[in-house]
Amino acid sequence: MPDPVSRQGLAQMNRSLLVNPYVLIAPGFILAALIILWPLASITNIAVHDVNRFGVLRDYVGFENFQVIFADPEFLGALRRTAIWVFGIVAGSIIVSIPVAMILNADFYGRGLARVIIMLPWAISLTMTAIVWAWAMNGESGMLNSGLRAIGVLDRNIQWLAQASTAFPMQILIGILVTIPFTITIFLGGLSSVPDDLYEAARLEGANGWQVFREITLPLLKPFVNIAVVMNTIYVFNSFPIIWVTTQGGPAKSTDILVTYLYKLGFQYGRLDDASALSILMFVLLLAFTLLYVRLAMREEKA
Amino acid sequence: MSLSRKAKRSIWSWVALSPLIVLVLFPFAVMILTALKPPSEVLRQTWIPSEFHWRNFITMWGATNFGKALWNSVYVSTLSTIIALIAAIPAAYAMSRYRFRGKGAFQQFLLVSQMLSPIVLVIGLFRLVVWLGLVDSTNSVVIVYAAFGIAFSVWMLQSYFATIPRDLEEAAWIEGATPWQALIRVFLPLALPAMVVTALFTFINAWNEFVIALTMLRTQDSYTLPIQIFSLVAGRYTVEWHHVMAATFVATIPVAIIFAWLQRYLVRGLALGAVK
Amino acid sequence: MSFVSSGRLALAASAMALVAGAAMADIRVTVAEYSSLTGPFFNDAAAAFEAETGTKVNIEVVPWDVLFQKLTTDISAGAQADLSIIGTRWLIDFASEDLVAPLDDIISDDLRERFVPAFLDPSIMDGQLLGLPVAASARAMYFNSDLMAQAGVESVPENWEELADAAAKISALGDDIYGFGLQGAEIETDVYYYYALWSYGGDLITADGTSGLGTQAAVDAATMYKGLIDAGVTEPGVTSYNREDVQNLFKQGRVGFMITAPFLATQIANEVPDLNYGVSAIPAGPDGDRGTYGVTDSIIMFENSPNKEEAAAFLDFVFGHDWRVRFDSGEGFLPVTSSVAEDPAFADDPVLSVFASLLPTARFAPTIAGWEEIAAIASDAMQSIYLSDGDSAIAPTLSAAADRINALLP
Repeated sequence: MPDPVSRQGLAQMNRSLLVNPYVLIAPGFILAALIILWPLASITNIAVHDVNRFGVLRDYVGFENFQVIFADPEFLGALRRTAIWVFGIVAGSIIVSIPVAMILNADFYGRGLARVIIMLPWAISLTMTAIVWAWAMNGESGMLNSGLRAIGVLDRNIQWLAQASTAFPMQILIGILVTIPFTITIFLGGLSSVPDDLYEAARLEGANGWQVFREITLPLLKPFVNIAVVMNTIYVFNSFPIIWVTTQGGPAKSTDILVTYLYKLGFQYGRLDDASALSILMFVLLLAFTLLYVRLAMREEKA
Repeated sequence: MSLSRKAKRSIWSWVALSPLIVLVLFPFAVMILTALKPPSEVLRQTWIPSEFHWRNFITMWGATNFGKALWNSVYVSTLSTIIALIAAIPAAYAMSRYRFRGKGAFQQFLLVSQMLSPIVLVIGLFRLVVWLGLVDSTNSVVIVYAAFGIAFSVWMLQSYFATIPRDLEEAAWIEGATPWQALIRVFLPLALPAMVVTALFTFINAWNEFVIALTMLRTQDSYTLPIQIFSLVAGRYTVEWHHVMAATFVATIPVAIIFAWLQRYLVRGLALGAVK
Repeated sequence: MSFVSSGRLALAASAMALVAGAAMADIRVTVAEYSSLTGPFFNDAAAAFEAETGTKVNIEVVPWDVLFQKLTTDISAGAQADLSIIGTRWLIDFASEDLVAPLDDIISDDLRERFVPAFLDPSIMDGQLLGLPVAASARAMYFNSDLMAQAGVESVPENWEELADAAAKISALGDDIYGFGLQGAEIETDVYYYYALWSYGGDLITADGTSGLGTQAAVDAATMYKGLIDAGVTEPGVTSYNREDVQNLFKQGRVGFMITAPFLATQIANEVPDLNYGVSAIPAGPDGDRGTYGVTDSIIMFENSPNKEEAAAFLDFVFGHDWRVRFDSGEGFLPVTSSVAEDPAFADDPVLSVFASLLPTARFAPTIAGWEEIAAIASDAMQSIYLSDGDSAIAPTLSAAADRINALLP
């Protein structure tokens, strides 16, 4: 039997630990800060210096590295494509996910199976997905061409990755496919929080399907759409494997986005200083977008 | 009557979903069919192999160092998930139960840290890992994954915890339970769904992560699955696609099973977590 | 695990000392993964070396695509291995930062004399030996004898004009048969173009130190390649074919001609031994110029290695005759050591002897810091040209690329 006094003392101590929020957040904060702030500081430091390709700091150069990035026509091209890439995937996945989530929210035979299938892309690493698709899009041996030929859509092979006009849309399509599971999960969560009697009531009042969707479902989904936009934008903006594995940003840089441009700058061309400056720029860009979007979304909600 | 209505709805639901399902299953078909082709047929544009060459899976296992990579992935993903949760649960508890100075700042820190992707930080991260003396150790990857998982975990858990009424814990205190007992017996069981979802997220992110592992891990003994499989196609003078696809297929099975199993928790947990 | 504990003890110590200190007696070797045989080869060699000397060698097998990135990050954090394989064209990047240990006094004369002098030369800078060639290849043209016979092409094309004719005849054999395999994607897209550039009398860097892409020879060579594409005698969509893809076409017997390294012969022997093919020189240009690309990879020792003696001993071991035979024959590289080159298995090999005969005309990548970026600019320019309509874009694209390269040249 434990001594009652010391046990009480222990409880006292435990309680004080439990009610001290700083103690509670400390482990999480320290770990996250170490792994995130320390590298951020180190990158910021590199970004304002002239640095050789092995990261040895030389002179302080202020914003010169940033100017180099802004003056690089490839940066502007990559920026433009990043905008298309992010918008295409985020919008595309939301447009597909809303109806699919509605179907999956209703009861039907095999719903469990359908949910599992549609969630599957989530279970594969993006790198592996991209490797499989790159192989499937191979102009000669790829099963995409042979499949489309078999069902009569194509009468000759397409070299999917030979030019941006086919490669980039396919990359966006793959991006949409892998973004859908997360988006649908969020929407399903939203839909399941809608009480059924709301629909019953609407139907009793004679509203048709479209009206129910517009007047009830969509407004209820709105906060969830906002979450999907913010989370997916962050994720897609930083997404690297799809483009890297399929085209490495080529041919002739025509599918380069900011992350692949960053990777080339830093690790292929050895321009660590410019790459660090670009890292900071990308972070600021994303931060600005997110803050702007959250603010707009909140204002709309209030209005 | 209602049965036939449900049957009808089932038919059109499946019809409506079929294009998406075809697109989702297509890569799996490519994987399994290529994996089963005899090596001499891999480059042919046929769908169905002339014979199912199951041996590919056996030769792949040896040729690709698969077992070791699988173990590394399991180790890294599991450990980083546990660490992230251990760090995130108390923080989320504090965020949902107390007002304190710096709370807003902490929240903002979490939000901002979500925006920093590993690839943007990789140069700095690598220097940190060297400083810690952890190069080529799977533990370096564990720490980084855990840290990147914390922000999301706290965010998810906190909003869920806020939905658990405080009265329940207080009732337990009154009945003589210590706060720790109340936490463990009353609070945590209620929070279980959210913890499962959070764990699943962290686990999957770790399981799938590419850039960090590529940078930190040096030897094949420490490679995780994505890196191991990538190394089979990157810059080799020849690529053995049937092995690559067999490896990819086997690598996806564990997560696919966990997914199928926990999928219903996922929706419920996210629903509560996301809105609040 | 030893990394963790010792790391904690010495947090304040410099990163370099840290990593090294954790593994005092061990040496670390970074090797590029050329094929699935590379890792097992070096691990076996390391095990045998350990059994003999007791020094443990940790082999770090890195995919070739990410090797340069890994070396850069390693060095930037002071965590480089003792020895590493590098592309010899990167040597200048490392040497100019004093990262590479001169080997003259470290390795024995016996080891140094094992190498074919021509392969040792690219690793000598300012009179110092900075690396040992570990892999060498040159490029030659592979031709499919059966396709040539079917199309009525009687002799192997000597120059590009003949090649265009022969390729047209072979392409006419069927929809899935292509005359000339033209690589237009990923690593060495630029090199595939240099073959033509050299045969048209051009050069990568001209005598006045500017980019050779700005010359008339460059335009002529590109126009010739573009002509092949537009005439439909190459595979369609060349910008999606990397080297491996074109080689696959050749192995399937669907391409009449392609230019690549000896390792394709090794792959053919293993995978499609019945393929009826031959190897010859790359076609000549209008004035009879020819050129092939010589590539060597070197193994270097980093200046900050604390185990130079052990590392040198490992080099001595792994460059032993039997290990080199296994490596060169497995990977399909040209022998870099004299004893292997004289080994009948190599000297009498009909394919390898063609490559060996081309070596005197082989050109190596210029030793210029930042060559990778220059190569990327050239590759992008070629891809733009291959994708463009007609010939009008060729000259402006090349001259724009030349301007960008000139800005990077010293």
